[in-house]
Amino acid sequence: MVLAAAGTLLLAASPMAQPRASAQRGTAKWTAPRTPWGDPDLQGIYTNKDENNTPFERPPELAGKRIADFGEKEMAELRKERQLAAARQASSIGGTAENDTGAGPPHWYEHFDAENAQPWLVIDPEDGRVPPLTAAARERAAARQAARRGRGPADSYTDRSIYDRCISRGVPDSIRPIIYGASYDITQSPGYVVIRYEMVHEARVIPLDGRRKLSPAIRQYMGDSRGWWEGDTLVVETTNIHDNMQFRGATSGLKVTERFAPVGPDRIDWQARMEDPTTWERPWSIRMPLKRDDTQAIFEFACHEGNRGLENILKAARAEEARKN
Amino acid sequence: MSQWLKGLLVGGVVAALVTLVAAGEWQGASRSSPPIARMADGKPNLNGIWAANNAANWDIQTHKARQGPVIALGAAFSVPGGMGVVEGNEIPYKPEAVAQRDANGKDWMTKDPEVKCYLPGVPRATYMPYPFQIVQSTEPNDILLSYEFASASRIIHMSTNQESPTDTWMGWSNGRWDGDTLVVDVKNFVDQTWFDRAGNYHSDALHVVERYTPLTPDVIQYEATIEDPNVFTRPWKMSMPLYRRVEKSAQLMEYKCVEFAEELMYGHLSKQPKQ
Repeated sequence: MVLAAAGTLLLAASPMAQPRASAQRGTAKWTAPRTPWGDPDLQGIYTNKDENNTPFERPPELAGKRIADFGEKEMAELRKERQLAAARQASSIGGTAENDTGAGPPHWYEHFDAENAQPWLVIDPEDGRVPPLTAAARERAAARQAARRGRGPADSYTDRSIYDRCISRGVPDSIRPIIYGASYDITQSPGYVVIRYEMVHEARVIPLDGRRKLSPAIRQYMGDSRGWWEGDTLVVETTNIHDNMQFRGATSGLKVTERFAPVGPDRIDWQARMEDPTTWERPWSIRMPLKRDDTQAIFEFACHEGNRGLENILKAARAEEARKN
Repeated sequence: MSQWLKGLLVGGVVAALVTLVAAGEWQGASRSSPPIARMADGKPNLNGIWAANNAANWDIQTHKARQGPVIALGAAFSVPGGMGVVEGNEIPYKPEAVAQRDANGKDWMTKDPEVKCYLPGVPRATYMPYPFQIVQSTEPNDILLSYEFASASRIIHMSTNQESPTDTWMGWSNGRWDGDTLVVDVKNFVDQTWFDRAGNYHSDALHVVERYTPLTPDVIQYEATIEDPNVFTRPWKMSMPLYRRVEKSAQLMEYKCVEFAEELMYGHLSKQPKQ
């Protein structure tokens, strides 16, 4: 936010304000400013548009490498490669003036100049690969596939993804950049942190007051989140996830623990740990930086209201069937 | 003067005061309500989960109870009567706009954006039968309103009043404090939201000025002044109390209604439509 500087002045004058680390950024531990009620103050607008193009897992061509192997020179090469690859596909996104795909003009897209911070997102296990699925998870996947046998990609709206349908991207996926709309704002009040996500539009209200979780009978697309502070780090545990979400094959027993660690005035180190013993042989984690950027204010994303895509996909499937018959 | 006489006089004054307060005629009577909560910066603390408790989402004007549109749902989804929330009960429609309102009302099941789970707009989001949460920090931070219906939310820009880059369903909100009242100026709306299920509507020239005034720790008086020169001949106002959800465990539930509108909107495009 533009008023960050004014906020700093206000807090500096407040008796509750904590001294900030004055040492160089990145070398000493950053101490976040405090809200008047004493919580670390993370309020502001953040983006991770620079993490577009970053593969989720370590890609096969980087087999044998570790994240620590990528210094500034190696990352610069990777970024350049990825930006070129994105540019090569530019015309297939929005199409051309004569053949408009309806997906918007290329200038909407944020991945052409993404300055990736990491070679991939999975930081634990160290090999950068999501742990193998358990036998139970493989059985579930096979059953899902069997249930879909004989169905086309758009026989009904239910054949499309929860994201295509503008319902949600769930947790943790709502914070994964997906070519545009990678803006988030954090608002705090005594006892609460709220994170808003531009894509699809989500306002995730996180109570910090130690209240009990919702009954397991209640399942929500964004789950049910409870947060607390560990030093300056906001820790958020999310459970009660909707059966429809199936994040990478997980069940509604998935527990996601996110850590929002402020590491400087303009940067949060975000991590998420996934635990679902019926799905993966062991827990695993991903990481991404969120950069504070006042120019990336959230716009209203009326996703469902403007969802011509879903309607057109279904209509096109019916037209295709009519043509074949 | 004897102590006895003094006691009699004082007693008489107290008795007179009690009589006045009981009759509600003493202006200072409202001071006996508990003081409103305040933030560290002295501003009223509006944090909490709030909800209207009226029939305005059915019809913002005075209306009697009537049969609902789904015969099979009988009493469970019929229309309760309402005293109305419009001051003076008159909505000053232009003559040509009345016809549009009537057509909307007649056909509301197919035309009302609520049925399709569209973002509800302002002020309707406030008095729909779903709670909303006010998330208020101290200045210079903005205030966030998070609504249960359709995961709608909006930011009230508090310290830098900004121009909206485009028209939106929930409008663009700039706020300021007028004493203990939060005043929110909302504009840049699309023309596709309504005020209620009775078909009361507006154009994209809608301009809403909301006033949130805390009356007690658990009640906010809400007012919305509506201006739209394309549809109305003059500004008009609605007002109602908003009540705090006081239970400690109160929490906004997720109501992602898109999935409940999909069969209605896309069912006919399925390969094998349901009968």
